[in-house]
Amino acid sequence: MDFQGIFDRLTAIRAPGLVRADEPRKADPKDKKDKGRAGDPFVLVEPQQLADFVRACRDDDRLHFELLVDVTATDPSKDSADLWINVQLLSLKFRHRLAIKALLPKSAAALPTLVPVYRASQWHERECAEMFGITFVGHPDPRNILLPDDWLGHPLRKDYEFPKEYHGISCE
Amino acid sequence: MLSLENQFEENVLTTKVDWLINWARLSSIWPMTFGLACCAIEMMAVGAAHHDIDRFGAGAFRASPRQADLMIVAGTVNFKMAERVKKLYDQMPSPKYVIAMGACATGGGPYYKYGYTVVKGVDRVIPVDVYIAGCPPRPEALLEGLMKLQEKIRNSSVIRKPARLA
Repeated sequence: MDFQGIFDRLTAIRAPGLVRADEPRKADPKDKKDKGRAGDPFVLVEPQQLADFVRACRDDDRLHFELLVDVTATDPSKDSADLWINVQLLSLKFRHRLAIKALLPKSAAALPTLVPVYRASQWHERECAEMFGITFVGHPDPRNILLPDDWLGHPLRKDYEFPKEYHGISCE
Repeated sequence: MLSLENQFEENVLTTKVDWLINWARLSSIWPMTFGLACCAIEMMAVGAAHHDIDRFGAGAFRASPRQADLMIVAGTVNFKMAERVKKLYDQMPSPKYVIAMGACATGGGPYYKYGYTVVKGVDRVIPVDVYIAGCPPRPEALLEGLMKLQEKIRNSSVIRKPARLA
């Protein structure tokens, strides 16, 4: 199934939290400020319903996304009020993929965990949590995965300040 | 001494204690089996047949710091690892030597500016004898570094210099 087919199916089954589809487009030649959009098509989803959404994607017979490829996040800029949550799903049975994006406000960066749906998302979520300061509510093991346990700050946030020293080792 | 002359013929040779001990040390620098990143791949190449670090007596990679004389810090040292590196160094028996192999171990390398977890040079944690440039260094460069270390050992002395009077 192509992206349009997947989106139509998601609409038909009333997938919870589905906002809209976002597809790449060329720039309008008349409007010089319009740069268009590159990249892959994705569906935009409400972050608080993301877990329910991927459950619907997994359990539907025609979509059958049995594999979670990636859960990651993006901090687009220092001024942005939102973080992006990016989820990639893959159906091995039908050989189609889906990119999902959710805008999560930085002021309340918490959303329900995807672990009950895909156990593979445990490590991805732990990395997101330590790198971006996102809380995955209900995660079974919310420790740091890469950084030391006593690390301060979230390094992949655009407003991250580098440490001056760590355990007596200068970072200057 | 005179009475001993020509008593043993060619079965005895005389030398200095310094020379003998230095010769023994520099001819069997056993490194620790220990690699942190891509430089370790080059280090493995040095250990293999083509470059053969065993020609210099340094081919016996020991799996324990207690049996090792040389720590080749081959790769990026991050803060989480630095404490372990220090601990391993402390476990090595003296005399012990350290080679900082490659740009990362020497001074942070490509992670100098934005690598928030990278120690900007392993010499901030443990004392380093020889620095090897390169990213990663060629196997020949590591051998050169090893020969520099041997030169350093050759010029050292086991005899403690008398303390200077104040």
